[in-house]
Amino acid sequence: MRSPVGAGLLAKVVNDIAGYLTRCGALKSFASKPAPTVIGFMLLLSVSGTACAFDLQQLSDQLAKPSVIHGSFIQEKHLRALPQPLVSQGSFVLAKNHGLLWLLKTPLQQDYRISAQGIARRDANGWQLLPNKSAGAEQNRLFLAVLQGDSSGLQRDFELQLQGEATQWKLTLIPRSMLLKQVFNQINIDGGALVHTIELLETQGDSTLLRLQGSAADQPLSEAEQHDFAQ
Amino acid sequence: MPSERLLPRLFLILLVAVLALAGWQWRHGAPLSANLMELVPGSTPDALELQAEQRVQEPLNREMLVLVGHADRQQAVAVAQQLGERWQASGLFEKVQWNLQADLPALREQLLRGRLAMLSAKDREQLIEHPDAFIQQRVQSLFDPFTGFSLVPSQEDWLGLTGRIQNSQPQRGAVQLDIGSGALIADADGKSWVLLRARTTGNAFDMKLPLQVADLLQASRAQAGQQGAQLLAASGLLYAANGQRQATREITWVGGGATVGILLLLLLAFRRWRVLLAFVPVLVGMLFGAVACVALFGRMHVMTLVLGSSLIGVAVDYPLHYLTKSWSLKPWRSWPALRLTLPGLSLSLATSCIGYLALAWTPFPALTQIAVFSAAGLVGAYLCAVCLLPALLKGVELRPAHWPLRIAECLWLLREALLKRVPSPVLLALVLLFCAGGLWQLNSKNDIRQWIGAPPQLLQEAQAVARITGFQPTSQFFLVRAENQQQLLERQRALSQRLDQLVNMDKLQGYLALNQLVNLPAEQQQLREALNALAQHWQPLLDLGVPASALQAEVAHLQALPTEDIDSALTGPLAEPWRTLWLGPVDGGVAAMVSLQGLNNPALLRVQAVDLPGVQLVDRLGDLNRVFADTQVSAAELKLMSCVLIVLLLILPFGFGGALRIVALPLLAALCSLASLGWLGQPLTLFSLFGLLLVTAISVDYAILMREQIGGAAVSLLGTLLAALTTWLSFGLLAVSSTPAVSNFGLSVSLGLAFSFMLAPWASQRKYA
Repeated sequence: MRSPVGAGLLAKVVNDIAGYLTRCGALKSFASKPAPTVIGFMLLLSVSGTACAFDLQQLSDQLAKPSVIHGSFIQEKHLRALPQPLVSQGSFVLAKNHGLLWLLKTPLQQDYRISAQGIARRDANGWQLLPNKSAGAEQNRLFLAVLQGDSSGLQRDFELQLQGEATQWKLTLIPRSMLLKQVFNQINIDGGALVHTIELLETQGDSTLLRLQGSAADQPLSEAEQHDFAQ
Repeated sequence: MPSERLLPRLFLILLVAVLALAGWQWRHGAPLSANLMELVPGSTPDALELQAEQRVQEPLNREMLVLVGHADRQQAVAVAQQLGERWQASGLFEKVQWNLQADLPALREQLLRGRLAMLSAKDREQLIEHPDAFIQQRVQSLFDPFTGFSLVPSQEDWLGLTGRIQNSQPQRGAVQLDIGSGALIADADGKSWVLLRARTTGNAFDMKLPLQVADLLQASRAQAGQQGAQLLAASGLLYAANGQRQATREITWVGGGATVGILLLLLLAFRRWRVLLAFVPVLVGMLFGAVACVALFGRMHVMTLVLGSSLIGVAVDYPLHYLTKSWSLKPWRSWPALRLTLPGLSLSLATSCIGYLALAWTPFPALTQIAVFSAAGLVGAYLCAVCLLPALLKGVELRPAHWPLRIAECLWLLREALLKRVPSPVLLALVLLFCAGGLWQLNSKNDIRQWIGAPPQLLQEAQAVARITGFQPTSQFFLVRAENQQQLLERQRALSQRLDQLVNMDKLQGYLALNQLVNLPAEQQQLREALNALAQHWQPLLDLGVPASALQAEVAHLQALPTEDIDSALTGPLAEPWRTLWLGPVDGGVAAMVSLQGLNNPALLRVQAVDLPGVQLVDRLGDLNRVFADTQVSAAELKLMSCVLIVLLLILPFGFGGALRIVALPLLAALCSLASLGWLGQPLTLFSLFGLLLVTAISVDYAILMREQIGGAAVSLLGTLLAALTTWLSFGLLAVSSTPAVSNFGLSVSLGLAFSFMLAPWASQRKYA
């Protein structure tokens, strides 16, 4: 008998959440999430392992150890309609307590940074947090959890199959949820002492091949890099 | 006398007929309603406005929003999943949704189809004004590893328009999609909150469903608590359940309390079991009231029952009229006692009915129902008291207790003693001083919230849900009308520009309008034309290896896209939030709503619609509050009119002077009650005014009793005291109601009764003068 007025606002909550969130808001975070997560995870794997037979837990334990990794990457985007892949190159720095610097060099120059604050892009005025991603705290938290060697987040979203041994292994990620299955067929990560390739196979027929080279875990952060993370 | 045998029979025939009618009315179950909106003034003469409002109200009466909170995200999702499955199995819900399974092919189709129609103003401007920058951004996004995956593959959308549309969708609130489980999660207060939506099979005004849902929620809450999870729920159903429980509780307390008190009083005063038969007119009165109410309105509101249960105290006054004569009539016989008091009894019925029916002319359906219920109830009680009860009490010899009479005599002596020291005019002056002082301090307060006795816990939870999800919806919305769709979108855009300013000034969190979803046909045409010039700027894309033929084909395809109108734009899954806003073709034109979020100054809204043709703010709460204030004035007028009527009625038996005096006393009593409210620091509400309106009518009865003085002053005073006591027992108990409106009503009636009793003896003042 006293419902409608007091709950007038509830109607709107229900309405709005029904429509807005499920479609729009969620859609965006959905579209932007898997990429950084997967990249973060594969970078974690770029550590030389010595044990003969290892499981995911051992892998995670090992990954949690190094504090800084430097390396370079080549990304090939294979689009169904293009005879030639879109190739880009650059370098990266992964620092355990700070985040990831992703420095695209060719064909265009663009620096990215992923940290606790979110994803940032560098322009003439310095680092700019990407709009609409600041609300995606969950996404970044998951990503950082992965950075720290916690693969449980990925295990929830993907079925992980690890084959081979520490020096020559292959990890396959098969999406679990209906949502992810509509985007990815699977993700393949090949590695030996280092991660060699990461391959993302999309359901639409496109794929992305990422090759990592010269990953090294022995160099501390340079001053410029520390500066980049500090901002 | 033949009438002594005929009357009871005739009445029994009538009673059987009414019972049969009641049985027929209840054949499909109780014709009860708990919909508050049926009780507040229908100030919306406009059918379209009404339709828009119903659109806004509908989900609240059927949906429940639950947040499942746990410090551990996985646990929160697991508990939400269990909860969802259990609720789905309960059969109470049509649909329980805790995770999202988006229909991606449909999304893709809509994005591709709406590339011209849905592109945001900013992106549109860049494409038209700065095509180089537009192409440059597209190239960047092709290499950007962090833009994520566009729903539409690149080769179907080389220019990246769908990605831009995706990114420009208004995103508000703090709820994120958990990609693995598909759950919608918000983080707040150190916990992860999983959102669960449940849509019930019926609505909040079903009499059973809200209670079942509330019980289920309670059980789920306890269960979740064992797992360390917390539930926050918000729904109109919960308010309905609470209101229903409260109404039941109050009917039990008020009705039960009044019944027990009155029966006890009857037993103590008259010391005969059979005197309890005096309660028969009360039951008959309730029956008549209910039947009349259902016959006139189709069904009866539970609030009518709550307020109507106070009728018990008034209805029992009729038998009391002649029962109290047992102190002076010895031996007391039912029929002679009735004959003696019949004129007073009939006058009393007439004045009470005038008082109640005056309520019927207020614009409040609630009060109209109560007036009809009460007037019919009083007629029933009167008929029963006059026709049936004397027959039932035939042969009963009443030997009432002496103590009530002694009390009355004591009171009367006290009054005499007082009058000897302080003459009436001085007393009157003192009373008027008291009134002036009290009225000086009286504040008026009117708010629709007085109808809502929602417990703070429900409100807090609703607020917590709003805070955690980041949604602060407002009940106000704009209604925009136009001759055609084109004009409608133009008008909405004009409004949007003003609302954007409010958003920028942080006066408004956001809004939803159809012009966010679909561009004007002219704007879509501009895009088509701008695409012609794009070939001069797309060299960077060619450098990447994108074939020129593919780009040309895409431009040709885009230019061939049909111009989207509102109807076609609303067909895809992305349009869901906007769908309820579109009211479609109406009265030779079209109309749509603009809904609002997070408003902190409602006064600002009214200004926004100024000078915008076809734009109207719908502010139901504000309108209602205005109706409340306006009604206060008309209630006062009604009161005076009812007094005039009563005076006219009383001129016949008492002459003009007598009638005036009899009516002046209740009015003075009402004034004293108003002053008391002032002294007590209680606000004057519309409901206290209605209470006083009513009490004037009832207390005319006391003045008549005192003026007639059948059986002596003390006996009449005792009759008045008993009548006032029984009435107070039922109305006074209303004051404990947790609905502010009802308790205000009870308080003012209680005060009015007390003053009426005290002032009533002056009705016969002339004899002393």
